[in-house]
Amino acid sequence: MKKQKSKGPLFIKTMVFGAMSGALYYLVFSNVDWVTKTYTMGGWHTVYPVGTALVFSFIHGAFASNLLALLGIEAKGSH
Amino acid sequence: MRRILIFLVIIGAVFLFAQDVLAGGGGPPKNMLKGFFEKVNPDGTAVFLVDTTGERKILVLPKDMKPEDVPMDRKVLVSLVTEGHGHKITNKIKSVSIMFIDLPTSKVIALLVVGLIGGLLSGFIGSGGAFVLTPAMMSLGAPGAVAVASNMCHKFPKAMVGAYKRWKYGQADIKLGVFMAVTAIVGVQIGIQIQKYILDHWGNAGSNLYVSLMFVIVLVVVGAYVFYDAYKLSKGGKEAETTKLAKKLQSINLPPMIHFKTAGIRISAWFTIPVGVATGMLAATIAVGGFIGVPGLIYVIGASAVVASATELVIAFCMGMWGSIQWGLSGLIDIRLTLLILAASLIGVQLGALGTTYVKDYMIKIVMGAVMLIVAVSRGAKIPGYLADLGLRPPLDPSTTSFLNSVSFWALVAALGTAGIIISAAMIRGMLQARAEGS
Repeated sequence: MKKQKSKGPLFIKTMVFGAMSGALYYLVFSNVDWVTKTYTMGGWHTVYPVGTALVFSFIHGAFASNLLALLGIEAKGSH
Repeated sequence: MRRILIFLVIIGAVFLFAQDVLAGGGGPPKNMLKGFFEKVNPDGTAVFLVDTTGERKILVLPKDMKPEDVPMDRKVLVSLVTEGHGHKITNKIKSVSIMFIDLPTSKVIALLVVGLIGGLLSGFIGSGGAFVLTPAMMSLGAPGAVAVASNMCHKFPKAMVGAYKRWKYGQADIKLGVFMAVTAIVGVQIGIQIQKYILDHWGNAGSNLYVSLMFVIVLVVVGAYVFYDAYKLSKGGKEAETTKLAKKLQSINLPPMIHFKTAGIRISAWFTIPVGVATGMLAATIAVGGFIGVPGLIYVIGASAVVASATELVIAFCMGMWGSIQWGLSGLIDIRLTLLILAASLIGVQLGALGTTYVKDYMIKIVMGAVMLIVAVSRGAKIPGYLADLGLRPPLDPSTTSFLNSVSFWALVAALGTAGIIISAAMIRGMLQARAEGS
């Protein structure tokens, strides 16, 4: 019989990534005037939207992955 | 390994050549300005500051536009009609759109819901989402170019997360995905040139008609075949077999032969090219290359539906990244829309990805076929209007136009809803079964 995994570290990871993701969303939406102006300047400014989307995908993606695991929703065979 | 490197160099050279020959492809329309109105003159003109260059232009207001209708303090997209030659060129305003729409709670919730189900669909069948996300953003008020750009910028991180998850489940063939993506980029360039040719010769109505016809023909033919195949498999209870075409192509020894380990296929690189090019052409035409990419990988290359849909996410990542850089260069990405959709779609895509581990291979085909056929109805409802615009049929009365528009919109909602329900039901059933077997 498989040993039940402890949810403690998973909970901490979910909270840490959740807080980081929340902070990033707060950072963007509380400076929305600067963000929308700078991100749409064109040319080399393309690194802003593309880079931001990448950073969010790592942080928020990790949060989402941990959240699903915490809720017990995992791929077949990984329980 | 050396043969593969040489082949990639050839493909790269073809790509560069295609870019030179077919120069000007990609990115937003050229008759569009982005920036701010600074002043409205009494003679019916306005001073416009182009934000990317700092250049000031004098634009002629259309007759039905009053000075107080000109938005002075907001970034706008102005579409223009250029008249005259040489020094007597006048730039007449055709339409003005506010670039950044207001985002009340109701719109935020709408974006999150569409993002979640679009992500679920993407994670499960490898593509989709774009066909409903772009119209959804436009119906919330975003200008078309901003909706396409913001959707593109959300597509590649979502695809990256989905591809990573499905690679971990042993489903995504990275090598096959990269090969397909390189050729798909060439296909995108060709697709854009065909679009431009049609736009130059038959105008906007002709272009709309071409896009809709392509949409309906490809979606009905391919969607019906995928659906029929899935139906046969679900009734017969047999595992999916490699098609005769794929077996024949795999047996032809035309160097360079490439072994795609995860897909379990050894095939000549030259047979992957047409599928990649067709994927790119469709992506440039109807913005959903996966509707040809996934069936192409299954029926022409010989991959299973699980591997094909997972590999499509690798292709979507490469193409989405390339497309986002192009749109970002023109400064048309509204990062607020991108991030709001991502907030939910990054959860949806992982849910869809893990869902594939609980279902049989044909379930992916059922969802894909069903979505393609319903989306075809949505686009088909637009065709009578475009035929009327081209003068190929009598004009439609307003009530018919309004009815067809509703059919088109609700068909998209139905496609998304149907996919959401089928995927969720199949996943829950699979999970319960797995738990029952495990206990």
